[in-house]
Amino acid sequence: MPVKGIRTVTAARNGVGAFILQCKRLDFHYCNYGGSSRGMLQFLTQTLPNFAAENPQIEVRVAPRPGKHPVIKGYYINGREKAICTRNLEPSEILKKAMILKDASGEKLKRTKKPVTSMNESVRGIWSPYHGDLRSV
Amino acid sequence: MKRVQLQRWSSTVLSPRARTSTLHQRLYATRLRHQSTASAVQAESAPQNGFEDSPLEDPGLKAHLESVHNRKTQLKYPSPPVQAASTSAKLAALHARLYLPSRLPLETLARTLVDASADSNADFNNESLATLGQDLLTYYTSEHLLCTYPRLPLTVVFAAMYAYVGPKTLASVAREWGVEHASAPGGEVDPGLLQFQRLEPGADVEDTANIKSARPYASEQKWRKTVTSKIFYDDAFGEATKGSTSASQGVPAEQASATFVRAVLGAIYLHAGRQAAKRFYEQHILSRRLNISELFNFSQPARDLARLCARESFEKPVAKIISETGRKSRHPVFVVGIFSGPDKLGEGAGASLIEARERAALSALKAWYLYSPLNVRVPSSMEEEGAAPWTPAYVDLGEVIV
Repeated sequence: MPVKGIRTVTAARNGVGAFILQCKRLDFHYCNYGGSSRGMLQFLTQTLPNFAAENPQIEVRVAPRPGKHPVIKGYYINGREKAICTRNLEPSEILKKAMILKDASGEKLKRTKKPVTSMNESVRGIWSPYHGDLRSV
Repeated sequence: MKRVQLQRWSSTVLSPRARTSTLHQRLYATRLRHQSTASAVQAESAPQNGFEDSPLEDPGLKAHLESVHNRKTQLKYPSPPVQAASTSAKLAALHARLYLPSRLPLETLARTLVDASADSNADFNNESLATLGQDLLTYYTSEHLLCTYPRLPLTVVFAAMYAYVGPKTLASVAREWGVEHASAPGGEVDPGLLQFQRLEPGADVEDTANIKSARPYASEQKWRKTVTSKIFYDDAFGEATKGSTSASQGVPAEQASATFVRAVLGAIYLHAGRQAAKRFYEQHILSRRLNISELFNFSQPARDLARLCARESFEKPVAKIISETGRKSRHPVFVVGIFSGPDKLGEGAGASLIEARERAALSALKAWYLYSPLNVRVPSSMEEEGAAPWTPAYVDLGEVIV
């Protein structure tokens, strides 16, 4: 056999071609009785319809959670989920929390040390001691 | 251990036996079925209108009864009814997440999610769409590969095709689209979930009996198959073509996901046209990263290079040491270049002279095979409106025969 092919799988580069929003579902939980849900109830009636219409990629679910603090839960494509408690928050603050969940990738938060992360090889290449002019000591 | 909380909406995706329905609901449902005067055909054609003449006054109760009745009728079908597509939040979210054209209706997207193993009726499963999608995927990929890398050996072309549109890749594409699997297919399942019959645990995934090849002596597994014959007899990846699996068997999740991605492309082609399908292909499949130089597996690169130079009437390749260090030490490094006359074809570094020479020959062969012309155009670009006149693509002799 002169040459054989090695089977691999192409790697996804989200955003190079199409961009897929990583948040696929947002659950809004509230309590009809508790005072900590007052802002959440306001948010659900006033702000949420607009938020859901602006982000059609996200499946929005609203469900009561009686006797508990209000919570927003985000479910992501990588299988993880993130939850933010929104007790005693104003509707505008809850919207900010929902935006945080919407924009998150679902990964654990990591400190990025390098300005660029890339799958591509370095354009410049790696310095080699065996090339170029040899210097005599 | 944390207690698993079944959410209240989960009853819609559970199997009918595990459904948490109250005695109340069951009573109403059974009574309704017995008292229903509508003929079976009428009830099937208009399930919504079965309650027009019912004596119930309470609108809430009536709506509840209707939903229960709908669910009863849904249970009769192997896949969700068409009208369920417009009310599924998952399906609408998937449509928006993929930026699918608005001309592609939700109902068709719902159909792409029904595998042939879930619903054997060809009018309701995605088999026909997937066939079209697979043809488009292989066509676009093969023309891209052949025009961009005209000198690729055929085995590497097969490997690259597999990397771009193979079932593994398409399954991971479906996963990255956020498509969830239904645990079992059925009429009551949310149409936004991928529905397929799962394999029994321990079932044989590699179904060798299912091979449907036009190749003579296809049943002889151990006979040598030439690479050229794979073009004629086998599929796009150089594998024997398989027939469709029977519905009762079930399919692996990978295969069902791949069929779904193919069906989406086929549906886009049918509803939104050729251009939208090609754009979708470029954005979702071609934009993925593949380093083609990693797909080569040479067994004897120095011999191949010598044959190649003889065919192209170059001067005989000669390996020369460019630099070296520590020849007598534990870690020597040799940098060897392969020269054909004054031209350096390739260069490689290694811990021994032979290793460095092999690597140099390898880099020379890759440099030859990975040649890519400038301003590549593919034949399907002529289908666009106002396309410039076609200039013939570069066609190479092909790989060297050893």
